[in-house]
Amino acid sequence: MLARQNHTSPLQWLGRQLFNRDDAVAFFDPLLERINPMWVQEYTPARVQRIIRDTADTQTFVLKPARRWQGFAAGQHVNICVEIDGVRHQRTFSLSSSTTLWHEQGLVTLTIKRLPGGRVTNWLQDQLNTGAVVGISEAFGDFLIPEPVPPILFIAGGSGITPILSQLKTMAAQGFRAPMTLLYFVQDHSHAIAREHLMDLAARHDLLTVKIVTTQGSSEPRYLTDADLSTITDLSSREIFLCGPQGLMALAGELLDARGVSRDKIHSTYFSAPQTDLSSQNLGGKVRFARSNLEVDSTGDAPLLEIAEAAGLTPQHGCRMGICHQCSCRKTSGTVVNRLTGQASGPGEDTIQLCISVPQGPVSLNI
Amino acid sequence: MKQMTEAQLTELEQDLNAIRNDVLADLGERDARYIHRVVRLHRTLEVGGRVLMPFGFIPPVFVAATVALGLSKIIENMEIGHNVMHGQYDWMNDPSLHSQTYEWDTACSSESWRRTHNYEHHTYTNIIGKDRDYGYAVLRLSDDDPWRPRHSLQFINYVLLSTFFQWGVGLHELETERLHRREISLKSKLPFLKEFFRKGGRQAFKDYVFFPLLTFPVAPIVLAGNIGANLIRNLWSSTVIFCGHFTQDAETFTEEECWGDGKSESKGHWYLRQLSGSSNFTGSRWVHLLSGHLSFQVEHHVFPDLPAHRYPEISERVKAVCDKHGIHYNTGSFARQYGTVLKRIAAFSLPDRLRARLPASEVGQAT
Repeated sequence: MLARQNHTSPLQWLGRQLFNRDDAVAFFDPLLERINPMWVQEYTPARVQRIIRDTADTQTFVLKPARRWQGFAAGQHVNICVEIDGVRHQRTFSLSSSTTLWHEQGLVTLTIKRLPGGRVTNWLQDQLNTGAVVGISEAFGDFLIPEPVPPILFIAGGSGITPILSQLKTMAAQGFRAPMTLLYFVQDHSHAIAREHLMDLAARHDLLTVKIVTTQGSSEPRYLTDADLSTITDLSSREIFLCGPQGLMALAGELLDARGVSRDKIHSTYFSAPQTDLSSQNLGGKVRFARSNLEVDSTGDAPLLEIAEAAGLTPQHGCRMGICHQCSCRKTSGTVVNRLTGQASGPGEDTIQLCISVPQGPVSLNI
Repeated sequence: MKQMTEAQLTELEQDLNAIRNDVLADLGERDARYIHRVVRLHRTLEVGGRVLMPFGFIPPVFVAATVALGLSKIIENMEIGHNVMHGQYDWMNDPSLHSQTYEWDTACSSESWRRTHNYEHHTYTNIIGKDRDYGYAVLRLSDDDPWRPRHSLQFINYVLLSTFFQWGVGLHELETERLHRREISLKSKLPFLKEFFRKGGRQAFKDYVFFPLLTFPVAPIVLAGNIGANLIRNLWSSTVIFCGHFTQDAETFTEEECWGDGKSESKGHWYLRQLSGSSNFTGSRWVHLLSGHLSFQVEHHVFPDLPAHRYPEISERVKAVCDKHGIHYNTGSFARQYGTVLKRIAAFSLPDRLRARLPASEVGQAT
């Protein structure tokens, strides 16, 4: 996913002849990496310039991507690739800096919160040091402010503030051209990411209103209410940008719906994948074979190879007992349980052996 | 082969699984660091060899360049390519070291190799008639195969096969013996042939056309050095591979033994067959590296997808399991093991009547 596209086809042809790989320059990576990790060609490297602590469980990483990185639009995310205990992991994070910082200094920031039990977010916080190099993908995502800029209501929760931070900082650098309101829900003030920065922006720009709501302040949790929406002037003319935990997103959806805000005015982006319940070994689920454009249901402990064959597909396979790796393929999402070890995979993109992998919930495969 | 009851086979399976699970649980940083180091060594040798080769008009430089390029091909084929394609490093989630996408520096395409080697050879190891690696359909190495006059010259065939080993391996899937017997049609092999010419052509172009022409004034020197490097690789890899299954005590099996009464073979029986049909040889760290740890063929055959550099450290445990179950653990010095291979090739070139008159030690096959 981080691999770069190379369009020079005669060179690409020669590279394949000489080095037996499509990304021929990457053949030299093991040597280049020793000299300077920023010269790696297989993916775009980015060096950690600075690490800033935001809250007890959130840090901002200031990254300098290699010059060939193509930039981003405020509200987009990137995949970050790190090697932990010898294993490459990729996770998606929103960029939290303004596009101006990128254009002027070649820097971007990621603001990352620890997820309880999360392998990558905890590693980033504890192990990633200034000067280290990580892989960064080109930016993607369509959580973008339209042009010309309309009046906007932002509703953010927790670390869902990150893409919105990028948008507010970018607009602040260029000057606000329409009224903006941010409703930011946090557990308590110590959990508010970039609180001072947001307050400072609001003080300096008349068109920007920031309201930070603490949900755990009193005995009763305080969530988004219709009263919050009623304080927004001309709500009907605003575009709505939502980013936060699923509960907040669902609640906001309902309340806006009740107020008759049309769906196509609501822009949202998730910042965490739905969690799988690993304690119950509830096996089976919907299996999507992306390349064959096929979706089937499975139940019980049938391995993916059998599910694929029952669906009429003929994936490459060999021993059917986990030895020969003929059936290894890419899983793009979903959790599978290894029949031999009983271990569950992560929810993200991964290589699995079809003949010994049993789906646990919905799974998507690149076959 | 040692006769074992179902209960004993189950116990053998559990004993070996325990070793496997211990290694799997421990995979990480150390393994990644090892394979990265080997890849770096390969790149250094290949780049060094190719850069030095045009200066081969100085005799010592010619020798150094040819040996460096030969070693680079050996390391790439044996310790990187062969092992990566077994899926030994799939868990690292590194696209450059992935079993399904890796393409190695030899005439045989990775896809063909994964079919004939990973699947056929590793599943049907040493089953006469099912494992086409047993004698490569060129050599008669056991009396399961009736003697024919052409076998009397098989020592010459062996020398030729070793000299042109990469082409022999590349054409292995053509199944000439079955074409000859008209069991399959040449037409059914057209897709394979197309693939063979594509990959084999690429290899020949690189070593015998591109690099010599690139250094035109010294083209004959570069051509000679590249031929030399390929020859070094061919002779060494065929020698190592022949020591894996054709030594004196390496056993052969019949289909009847494995699937008698139409039963499918148990994992325990498969383990027993791998232990009895494979043979190790001893040597220094460098010998193991250059043989891609096929000097631990026994360990490789029971655990083909564990990182090969782990074989030395688990060999004591595998040997202990063999001792416990009364299975012969076949090992010896390189000279001794290879000596028995040569004897076996020579002895089976004789008709059974003549061979029976040889003293047992000269036959190269266990009684």
